[in-house]
Amino acid sequence: MGNKQTIFTDEQLDAYQSEHDCPQVLGGFGRVPDGQPRALNELVGFIQSTPPPPSTSPILVTPASTALLSVSHLKLHGRYHEMAPHIVPMDYTNEPDVRIPIQLITNMPELKENPFKEQIVKTFSEDGAGNLSFNDFVDMFSVLSEMAPRELKAIYAFKIYDFNTDNFICKSDLEKTLNKLTREELAPEEVTLVCEKVIEEADLDGDGKLNYPDFENMIGRAPDFLSTFHIRI
Amino acid sequence: MTETANSKPSKASQRMKNIRKNSINRRIYSAVYEEHENSNSEDDEQEGEKADYKDPEEIFQNIQIQKEMISSIRCRPWPMGQKLKVLRQAKEIVLKYEGRLTRTRGYQAAGAEMWKKFGRLVYNITVLFIPWEMRIKKIESHFGSGVASYFIFLRWMFGINIVLTVMTGAFVILPELLAGAPFGSVPSKTIPAGYVASAQDLDTIWSLGGYLQYSVMFYGYYGNERKIGRAGYRLPLAYFMVGMAVFAYSFIILLRKMAKNSRLSMASASDENYTFCWKIFCAWDYLIGNPEAAESKTAAVINSIREAILEEQVKKKDRSLAVIISLRILANILVLLSLAGSIYIIYFVVDRSQELERTKVELTLWEKNEVSVVVSLITMIAPSVFELVAQLEMLHPRTTLRFQLARVLVLYLGNLYSLIIALLDKVNSMSMADNSNDTGTSFLATRALPEEESLSTIVPEIRLRRNSSFSPEENKTKPLTKFNRTALFDYNILSQQDQCWETYVGQEMLKLSIIDMLFTVGSILLIDFIRGLFVRFLSDCWCWDLETKFPEYGEFKIAENVLHLIYNQGMIWMGAFFSPCLPAFNVLKLIGLMYLRSWAVLTCNVPHQQVFRASRSNNFYLAMTLFMLFLCMLPTVFAIARYRPSPTCGPFSGQDKIYDIVSETIVNDFPVWFNTVMGYVTSPVVALPALLLLFMLIYYLQSIARSLKFTNNQLRMQLQVERTEDKKKVFQMAVARFQHLEDGDKKIEHESDATSQESSLQSSPRRNGSVTNFDSPLSAESHIQSISQQVAHAVDVTRSANLPQNPAAAPAQKHRRDHVFQRNPGGLQGATSGHFRGKLPSSRGTRLPEDIRPDAPFRKCVRPLHYSPPGGVPQMILGRRVHTARYILVNEREPRKRLMRPATRVPKHYKVDESRGVVEMLPRNLKRYAVHSAHRTNPQLHFSEEEEEDEEELEQGTFSRSPRPHSLSDLHQPTRFYIGDSKDSRILIGKDLAQIQYEYEDSEPLQDHVGPGSSHAQRNSKGPLPATQSGGAHIKWKTKHKTDQSLTESDSVSIASSSDQQNSSTDQYIQVIHSKDKYLKSSNEKISRTKSRASIELNVAEANDLICSNV
Repeated sequence: MGNKQTIFTDEQLDAYQSEHDCPQVLGGFGRVPDGQPRALNELVGFIQSTPPPPSTSPILVTPASTALLSVSHLKLHGRYHEMAPHIVPMDYTNEPDVRIPIQLITNMPELKENPFKEQIVKTFSEDGAGNLSFNDFVDMFSVLSEMAPRELKAIYAFKIYDFNTDNFICKSDLEKTLNKLTREELAPEEVTLVCEKVIEEADLDGDGKLNYPDFENMIGRAPDFLSTFHIRI
Repeated sequence: MTETANSKPSKASQRMKNIRKNSINRRIYSAVYEEHENSNSEDDEQEGEKADYKDPEEIFQNIQIQKEMISSIRCRPWPMGQKLKVLRQAKEIVLKYEGRLTRTRGYQAAGAEMWKKFGRLVYNITVLFIPWEMRIKKIESHFGSGVASYFIFLRWMFGINIVLTVMTGAFVILPELLAGAPFGSVPSKTIPAGYVASAQDLDTIWSLGGYLQYSVMFYGYYGNERKIGRAGYRLPLAYFMVGMAVFAYSFIILLRKMAKNSRLSMASASDENYTFCWKIFCAWDYLIGNPEAAESKTAAVINSIREAILEEQVKKKDRSLAVIISLRILANILVLLSLAGSIYIIYFVVDRSQELERTKVELTLWEKNEVSVVVSLITMIAPSVFELVAQLEMLHPRTTLRFQLARVLVLYLGNLYSLIIALLDKVNSMSMADNSNDTGTSFLATRALPEEESLSTIVPEIRLRRNSSFSPEENKTKPLTKFNRTALFDYNILSQQDQCWETYVGQEMLKLSIIDMLFTVGSILLIDFIRGLFVRFLSDCWCWDLETKFPEYGEFKIAENVLHLIYNQGMIWMGAFFSPCLPAFNVLKLIGLMYLRSWAVLTCNVPHQQVFRASRSNNFYLAMTLFMLFLCMLPTVFAIARYRPSPTCGPFSGQDKIYDIVSETIVNDFPVWFNTVMGYVTSPVVALPALLLLFMLIYYLQSIARSLKFTNNQLRMQLQVERTEDKKKVFQMAVARFQHLEDGDKKIEHESDATSQESSLQSSPRRNGSVTNFDSPLSAESHIQSISQQVAHAVDVTRSANLPQNPAAAPAQKHRRDHVFQRNPGGLQGATSGHFRGKLPSSRGTRLPEDIRPDAPFRKCVRPLHYSPPGGVPQMILGRRVHTARYILVNEREPRKRLMRPATRVPKHYKVDESRGVVEMLPRNLKRYAVHSAHRTNPQLHFSEEEEEDEEELEQGTFSRSPRPHSLSDLHQPTRFYIGDSKDSRILIGKDLAQIQYEYEDSEPLQDHVGPGSSHAQRNSKGPLPATQSGGAHIKWKTKHKTDQSLTESDSVSIASSSDQQNSSTDQYIQVIHSKDKYLKSSNEKISRTKSRASIELNVAEANDLICSNV
């Protein structure tokens, strides 16, 4: 597997992979879950006398399938590398601490047209300023991938729309969202009207701003949230 | 872990598993619980678990947890680095103890992944093949869903026409072309000699004469041989069947589409209340990566937001009623007038054209196409008139749209109908003309004889009318024929051909369709394009602003355009039988229209200012189409059933009726038995019952539909109620949280104060369901039941039994429990309802001051409880903190009628103690009655648990869980308590258990209230073994003085809150049974504090009131 192996070690790929696709890969992981009570008793007896059972079956994921499944991560790394070839090393086996500044990230074609690009990048960056490490980068696209669950997407959507990071979507956040969304083409009174409407609709506790439960409640019923809140890379 | 599980309602199944684990691992989590965020606690958790490996069961559980975490790690909103770390740890643990995944499993996963990718690819490819998808998307993003819906509808029409074309093409046109008699072989397939010269003239072609007339395009060309070709294709039968199948298919496809649409709209109907939210938060399509698309999307978003704003504003508009009504009446009159006018004009024009045809041999171009042109003009102009009129009405824009659509539809239908009626009239009159000619030529006479017969038999009245009305014309035609003596033969031929009235109708329809297309193109070019150019380029050098004032840019009027499509389709349906090529022509027309329209829309139209979501109008369009189809089918069917087919042309020539072909085929070509069967089936014996059955079926289905509708409405109402409940609950939670924060300041000093306050506050949200159980002091008549339960091992089980959680009245119980415990010292002991443990039967009569004091306030509710005498205090603390003494409920039976029961039962269970004695009592009791926790299935449990979780949430400040609807459970609950009046034991068990539950759950979250010392005790209590008494003992000393302090401060608050509770729960079931005043008074005397006495008296008064109203 020549070249690509040098970017990540097998374990790294494995880890990413499990992170990425665990439900499928690990669905049959537990051998006991069905007959739990019985199995539990057996196991209790067993474990009490002996140290943990050695692994008898073969390895978790075969190398072949690792390579197959983690192509997307290699691809992501490729994209990451190509944004800033001079900063990002090709070799990621020792997990270098490299961050790409926000300006480069937002120039990706996938994000370029997005009105919330800065906010997205900031949300996913660990330092909050928008500089993304490779892990953050993977994180971003994993959340925005098609396979991410709705709850996760909702959490991050909330973070994205929460501009001032006060854990509430308040009126100023809404105004910002709206202005970015419409490129400030709406009249101010229209904006205020819409913001009021939004809060009226979604604010359950009457505090004049949306907290996460409000938001989740609302977004959970949206028909096309899942289909629009994802980026294909 | 619990928190995370709770936060994901969708993971209900996971939760099932979790709960077991949780109960076991609870201890571990509790250590880190205060950290309050999962991310932190998860890490710590692992640390903690590693240390815990000694217990095998825990090891197993741990493995399970780790697996769980591995599988759910994607769903955690942590940064990638942390995820990876946690994942690594979890995997290490799991790998240590568990076997690894097999190789086959890996391949399977890989295969599944590939399959998924393949599926997506296929889907993407199929999307590519949907015609005009990109075009429509583009329009949609510019002009919104409304305009796009027109194009989608157009595309759908296009699909239908494709199918119709295939049907007619494959079964009628192709066989005729391949196997039918060739062109020129038969008179009906030959261009008459006199016309050959002009058959290729543009003029002739234009009016669909000449070669076109004698082609497969029209009915007249088809031969009437029963079987054609070597295979014996039954063309006439096929022709008839296809003609019918066109209608049948259209009906079926329309109805199916409508059913699907209504299903969709049903599904989305309940989600109406987040319009603006979704427009903002779900509007942007994150997939967009192309600047143009982004531009379009922005435009679409703005548009949709404007739409929503407009709709919102329209809701608020208001106007004086009288004016509106009169205006609307006026508008409707105007509309009716214009409708009548248009119908008259059409009829007049058709009439005139007949006249012209009679009087003139050479018709000008205008005269030939007069009818179609006039009809098309009317269809173009009238809608604009209607629109002007509609402005008078000032309806809601959507209603306006519908009215407009309906009116235009009526107009179009009127046009088509008056046209077809006029045409059929003309067919008749043509026959008359023939008849009138027979004096001139013998040839004609012989040929026209059967025609005359048939007509006279079928439509004698028409004939009569014609004869009378056209008598002057006959006079004219005679000289004419004489004058054209040279062309006499030609004329005869002509009239012979003209007699093919089916062809004539088909020609007219096709002509109409063509003219309509031309007018559409013309109007698009002229009204949209030229105007757009004019406005765009001349606005600079004009006296006013062309773009905003008069001409403006053309708007895309969805209503008219959709209606026009329907009208167009109506023409096709109407003419398809007479001109099999009409669907094919329509396909071409629709393709052209699609491109032209989309181009025009994108280049020179502005979005309609009042665009509404078309999704709901879709079915409206379809309904109109269905209506149109039905009405267009009528004339065709009428013609088929009523008129005799032309004798010299067409597949049915020589038959009496067109549909005879079917019976003929059945008679000739089917076996005899089938014939007889058909005879039976079509006889009234079968037909009538079948009809009846059909009616019954319709009635039955309709009644079912009605009941379903009713159920639907009810469910919707229920949903609404639940939603409002939701809102209330969340709001109250917020209040409680707020209160809690406020209390936080005092907490340290006045711990118990905070607790009781909290409990009373939290009970308020539960008003609906909460039961306020007010107990009055012990008296001769009353008895007090105190129940205590031991939780111990039962906890885990109860917890898992609780899965279907419902919100509950726990707070009420909670605070009650507090009181009860505090009252406990008064000499009431724990005893499960069924098993009172009585040591001193005489307890009834004794009125211990301690008893009375706490009880009286308790009726009032919360606070006064703390008045319990010092002697009792230790116990009360014990009751609260130590798990063994869980719950003591004091219930008082006052009314004399009920005296008997308590009197008989209570005494033996009673044990009157000195306050000191109770301390030892309780634990013992508890142990003894632990057995009775078996009743834990009582639904009450769920309530309490739910409540607890809410509290946990509040206290932990996690947002992860959304409130659950609980109105239903609320409804149930009260009844239960109400019953409780009579059957104490059952309820008590329920409450009891709930209490236990509560206590258990309580352990972590309530620590805040309870304070450091007690919390530690509580944690101990959670262990599998009953907590040691020593734990409780040590607490009681700590809290003792605190409770005393709290009395004064919380006094007023508690009274207020409790009275609130009482008032609000009047419709609920309050067990308020007051004791005799004298007892109270006597007890009051013994109370050391005057303040409390006052409050007690107050309480008594209130209690009396309540009894009046409730009991």
